[in-house]
Amino acid sequence: MSKRNYMNTLTNLGLRMMASQFNLRSSLKKYLKSSDGWINFSIGFSTETESVEQAIVFQDGKVKVLKNIPDNADAVMRFTSDEVLKEIVKITPNEILNLVLKNKIILEGNMAYLQAFNYFISLIMGKKHQRMLNKLNKKEMKERKKEYGNKSPELAEEIKNRYAYRMKATADEDPGVKFLSDPYLSEFSMDDFPKIKRLHEEHFNTKPAISSERPRLLTEWYRENGFETDNNGKEWFPELRQAYAYKHLMENKKPVIRPESPIAGTCAPEDVAVIIYPDTTGTMIWGELGSIDRRFLNPCSITKQTADDLHDIYAFWAKRITREWIRDKYDYPLCQKIDERAVASFNFKTVSMSHIIPDLETVINEGTESTISKIDRQMKTLGKKETDKLNTLESMKICLEGLNAYAANLSKEALILAEKETDETRANELKMLSEICKRVPAKPARNMDEAVNSFWIFWVGLVMENNNISLSPGRLDQIFQPFFEKDMQKLSKEDEKKNYIKHVIELFCFYFIRNAEHQNLVPDVANYLFSGSHAETAVTLGGIRPDGKDAVNDMTYILLKVTEIMSMRDPNMNARYKAGVNSDTYLKRLCEVNFITVGTPSMHGDDAVMESLKQTSDNIEDIRNWGCTGCVEITIPGKQGNHAGATSINMVAGLEMALNNGYHPLMNWHLGPETGSVENDDFKTFEDFFNAYSEQIKFIIEQNTSFNNMAAEAYAYLRPTPYLSAAIQGTIESGRDVTKGGAIYNTSGTFNIGLADVTDSLMVIKKLVFEEKKITMKDLKKAVDSNFENDPAIHAMVMNRVPRFGSGNDEAVEMANRVASLIHSSYKSHKSFRNGDFTVGFWSVAQHSAYGALSGAIPSGRQAFQPFTPGLTPHPSASKNFLDNIRDVARMNPRYMDNNIAFNVRLVPSPAESREDTIDTMYSYVKTYFEQGGMQMQFNIVNSDVLKDAMANPENYKNLIVRISGYNAYFIHLTMDMQLEIIKRAEFGI
Amino acid sequence: MKNSPLILDIKGNSLDDGPGIRSVVFFKGCPLDCAWCHNPESKKRTTEISFDKGMCIGCKSCIDICQSGAISFDNQYFIDREKCSLCFSCTDACPSGALSKVGTFMEVDNIAERIIKDKPFFDTSGGGVTLSGGEPTIDISFTSELMKKLKSEGIKILVETCGFFSIDKFMDLIYPHADMIYFDIKIMNCSDHKKYCGVPNDLILQNFIRLHDEYRNGGIRIIPRTPLVPGITDTEENIKAIADFYTEHGVKQADLLSYNPLWHDKNAMIGTDNPYSSDKKMKEWISRENEDSCRKIFLNAGIEFP
Repeated sequence: MSKRNYMNTLTNLGLRMMASQFNLRSSLKKYLKSSDGWINFSIGFSTETESVEQAIVFQDGKVKVLKNIPDNADAVMRFTSDEVLKEIVKITPNEILNLVLKNKIILEGNMAYLQAFNYFISLIMGKKHQRMLNKLNKKEMKERKKEYGNKSPELAEEIKNRYAYRMKATADEDPGVKFLSDPYLSEFSMDDFPKIKRLHEEHFNTKPAISSERPRLLTEWYRENGFETDNNGKEWFPELRQAYAYKHLMENKKPVIRPESPIAGTCAPEDVAVIIYPDTTGTMIWGELGSIDRRFLNPCSITKQTADDLHDIYAFWAKRITREWIRDKYDYPLCQKIDERAVASFNFKTVSMSHIIPDLETVINEGTESTISKIDRQMKTLGKKETDKLNTLESMKICLEGLNAYAANLSKEALILAEKETDETRANELKMLSEICKRVPAKPARNMDEAVNSFWIFWVGLVMENNNISLSPGRLDQIFQPFFEKDMQKLSKEDEKKNYIKHVIELFCFYFIRNAEHQNLVPDVANYLFSGSHAETAVTLGGIRPDGKDAVNDMTYILLKVTEIMSMRDPNMNARYKAGVNSDTYLKRLCEVNFITVGTPSMHGDDAVMESLKQTSDNIEDIRNWGCTGCVEITIPGKQGNHAGATSINMVAGLEMALNNGYHPLMNWHLGPETGSVENDDFKTFEDFFNAYSEQIKFIIEQNTSFNNMAAEAYAYLRPTPYLSAAIQGTIESGRDVTKGGAIYNTSGTFNIGLADVTDSLMVIKKLVFEEKKITMKDLKKAVDSNFENDPAIHAMVMNRVPRFGSGNDEAVEMANRVASLIHSSYKSHKSFRNGDFTVGFWSVAQHSAYGALSGAIPSGRQAFQPFTPGLTPHPSASKNFLDNIRDVARMNPRYMDNNIAFNVRLVPSPAESREDTIDTMYSYVKTYFEQGGMQMQFNIVNSDVLKDAMANPENYKNLIVRISGYNAYFIHLTMDMQLEIIKRAEFGI
Repeated sequence: MKNSPLILDIKGNSLDDGPGIRSVVFFKGCPLDCAWCHNPESKKRTTEISFDKGMCIGCKSCIDICQSGAISFDNQYFIDREKCSLCFSCTDACPSGALSKVGTFMEVDNIAERIIKDKPFFDTSGGGVTLSGGEPTIDISFTSELMKKLKSEGIKILVETCGFFSIDKFMDLIYPHADMIYFDIKIMNCSDHKKYCGVPNDLILQNFIRLHDEYRNGGIRIIPRTPLVPGITDTEENIKAIADFYTEHGVKQADLLSYNPLWHDKNAMIGTDNPYSSDKKMKEWISRENEDSCRKIFLNAGIEFP
């Protein structure tokens, strides 16, 4: 008997109204067409109770509504109940998004076409939605000002005033510092660089714009020359196809030299541009093309032309995105379905692969011409039948030729600008720039200006091929120091030297701005999952050199000075500290820069990191040369194909599944194995329960790694990366692209969220249930299932009577290590597509907030939908003594954490203390932590009042950066949930 | 049964109790009885029971288990301390920790173990242990044993004292193991001192003079400190008298401790009355002007702040 009800009729009516709009109005109908022809797809709508089943079909320019969902529907929106369906007509698209995230609406199928459908809706409902949104936003800002606003204007000043005082130092303890007499460069402030000051402010007042240049040029080429097959019907060798398209892009890309810039080139023509990668994330904003400029979080401007261009471009890519490729080849596998629910795991690989550090040293020092020669030599050694290798190598060459064409265009542009330039100094600068671009990156750089331009132009090339997410330049202080020394040695007079140092500082300030002008695409869903995250260009300073000596040098301190002056979220600055080698002067400077900027650079303990890296390499020089990728991921620069942020799992999901015999409450899905039921008293000992948890975790990881490998396979076909491959060692010798495992080292990095929450929950079960027998497993579960509302006594007990990770308790640390070990061994039992290992990280981006919002209450006392702790940071209530936190984190075994961790600390500065005393205290914490074997530590040095004020008055805090979990973000760009989470984090006074 | 002192708390990561990062051992028991005491639970030597209303979830497990009928929501301080037998069944049963035992006996080795964990931080920051309370000289032999143990581990020790002890015993058992002393000088007028602090101040002042002389002759550094209590110690008369006392004895460095009003609820927690619960001045943070004028008096007398 049919379960259909009145909702079904209403849905039918709604869809028919939409269909008729498109069928009758020519202004709407034109959107049904693209350069390839009609955009054809169908979307189904149903409820899980079977009360509703409808479908809308876009076919050859006509829109039809069906009463059944066809078998070949491209996508389906499933509503978990009638109530949910009723909701959606009343709410804004963001709120619908929330329902999707909460698994109240399940999306299945081709996500690009779902986005297209959203776009079509926005064409009709756009204005109404916008009005609703504006109303909501106004209300929210009003509430915020009321609740969080402080009437003290001096709060905004407190942070600005930190720049006013700067410590001095000498370089006696730093053998690598050859020229700086005061390595802290305390004599300089932003005021000494008026150009930078102006451009810096302009940057923060510029709204990012969606740029269609890249996808337009690429899609244009593919449309003309074919994607799967060429014009003769022959299948393209993917690397060659990519290389030709790439060359076309680079030859036709607008060569831009930004005003006053000593560095040539930009990633896009717009002042601040959001770069689009239509084969991965691009189509995710299809539905927002009409609204992205007015959304609450991170709005981006978009011209009508760009929106129309992208609509046309996306139609080409709808079936060519990584997710679709997998869905098609593997018949919508279980692992994909799990991933799309985003609760138990989320695979970043479908978003991008980029996390890597290319071999910049070779590019800058030897020039791309020498790479081309190397490729030629290699090609000569290959037999004619080795076509795959020959094609791969050829494609690398073609890409480098494209780069050279771009550099030549920049050179011409510089001359054109020089002609027009009225200011003589600038005209000469442009003429010099023109000469520089004639030389680099093709030939070796001979001085700092050439080196930085070589780097940047090459970088633009990199961003043109690869998603600008976590592409990282690595150890810039090591790379540029030789040029600094070379240039300085030519100068003899003191004022010449001082001017040169000033010039280098300014040059890198310009680099920071250039780098911030390309931003990554953030679809609204990412605002919630990856709050405030951005290109994550990680730069790594300090540590030791491959020969084991102190790596801290002049450039280390210059880059720290630039970091202090600019206080920007990107590049993501990281600093290595080698206990016993790096000086106290250096470490104290790291603390001071953190204090002034509120939260950068993040710091890493070389001993722990290098210990963990032994699992990837046994070459001690490579190990010593490690750098960070993206957030914090441990990478060997130039040699490691290490998609370092490939995939994440929600460790708490495994816990919920173990408590519910394989069923996950929020997902309403029995996806995991049956490992025992609490209600049936199946757990007689703690080990029984731990085993159940292990099984669930192993299941999640197995699915997760499978999906990761499928996505990697998709990349190898859809978007191999010959340009990048030309700058990663191993690929030329092996004749294999990076995506196919051509690099010397191959790994896939994971990040695993919820370690402290899981550990604390397991401790509750072990101590209260099984050892002290204060409560039964059943009673605990009942309390958890009721979100502790039915049993405040149990809630109080679990919160107060059980030692947590971070409390200094040995058992809790042992438990944390045991859980980390479980994750580690589970991942290591799988191989990646590129035949490498998975590496294990415990940092969380913003996933601790996202996964937390999708997880229920757990035995540790955390209530439903609350965030987890970031990275592996102990719970704020673990101990009143911060030192317990530090010691416990330092006691984690680095072997289990070879993709690094994030340990967050919020310090509240004491206004009564002198700068020197504050820094000394910070330094004591940090030094002791690293001496104890700690791996990573990151700070937010700001008090709650300031953060609350920033929530209420964001306009006064445009560049207040905070550390989330491995990366920096501008506080005002974060969701309110994330902002509150940071405020609630354990606060320690200094 | 051991007659050793009880320990209230061992607080780690303290930045305000001496140089560097320190662990502070709070002893229970004090020979003084200051009206404004910020840690009223540290006055009595014996164990007590504390009730934190803010943490109570109202489950009544305590009422159910109490054999003495001492617990009731009708009681102003929740527990009738006259009836309470200090069996501590209620603190065991309390799920939230709202009810807690104040003062635990700990062996010297036990205390040392807790502290030694943080030694790496002491080393990096130039910190160590601060002995405080209550009064750390409440049992000089015990404290001496503890100090010897800590010294053997290479940990620096700062003694924070009210100064009311036998100087001979102090010199014999405490002084050799201490690295620094914070000595309270509260009120110069002897009868006022007796009125507000429970004992006269002549022994205290004598002890200070002796220890300061030792310091001037190469002994360990001693810094006298005065807590500023509104209307009682922060009067111009008292501060001037203290400054004069310092000048007379060649004291070059001294400290004034700002008043903070966050102690008022602590009395209720252990069931004692707070004589200043409705005193307006006592409920506020000390004003900048007040503090500055006190500091000025010292500065004018040529006394520096550490």
